[in-house]
Amino acid sequence: MKRKAVLGAAGTTNQMRDETMENTTLKPEKDYSGLADAIDRILDKGLVINADITIDVAGVELLGIKIRAALASFETAAKYGLEFPTGTNLETAAWKEAMIEKEECPQCGKRVEREELLNLACPWCGWESAKAKKRKRAKAGVKMEV
Amino acid sequence: MVIVKPEETGLKELLDRILDKGVAVDASVRIDLSGVNLLGIKARTILSSFKTAEETGLDFPKGTEFSTPAWKDLATKKPCPVCGMESRREDLEEEGCPWCGWNYKPDER
Repeated sequence: MKRKAVLGAAGTTNQMRDETMENTTLKPEKDYSGLADAIDRILDKGLVINADITIDVAGVELLGIKIRAALASFETAAKYGLEFPTGTNLETAAWKEAMIEKEECPQCGKRVEREELLNLACPWCGWESAKAKKRKRAKAGVKMEV
Repeated sequence: MVIVKPEETGLKELLDRILDKGVAVDASVRIDLSGVNLLGIKARTILSSFKTAEETGLDFPKGTEFSTPAWKDLATKKPCPVCGMESRREDLEEEGCPWCGWNYKPDER
């Protein structure tokens, strides 16, 4: 039990060290090494598969297959206006949410509304873009002058 | 403070490359039986990301709506060379990157 506690303590210090390192170099937590992340990426970017296949028997064309396929996550599909099966209700809140442009926070990796992340800060970790910082400084400068 | 581009590790880099470059497979198979052409298969296949597909003019499924802002973004946005975040191309070249501050000098208006 005692040993466990010691290990636990060591773990915390390591974690703390990691956290401080992260604060100085701003690396996203997410690393795209796993299969789940690979799938995430493909679905996020979207994948186009087009194929023309013909099969002929004894010189006579028997079968022709033309495939135009697009593979994407719901969000990406909605953004690029891919057609959904008939009967899909596109008026729900989730679809409207999907149409809002989002960006991954460079620090914590969470998906945040692009405008908010660029102009204000990340609501999760507080990361600020160069634009937001500049704007803040300009505001402070105006206040000082007044 | 330094902002580092997400590390390009194995699988992610591989996927990015494959999807961004696109893959074309052109295969034809012919099976002859005692000099008589019995079966022939021709397959022309293309595999790529949406961005590459749009740039190279690949066909999209029927019914795809091309007027959404996302399509416009594909053509106008470019990733920052330092942090990899995307901005409008002219903005990136003239004002620098508003995300990481690379070359950043917005118009004082």
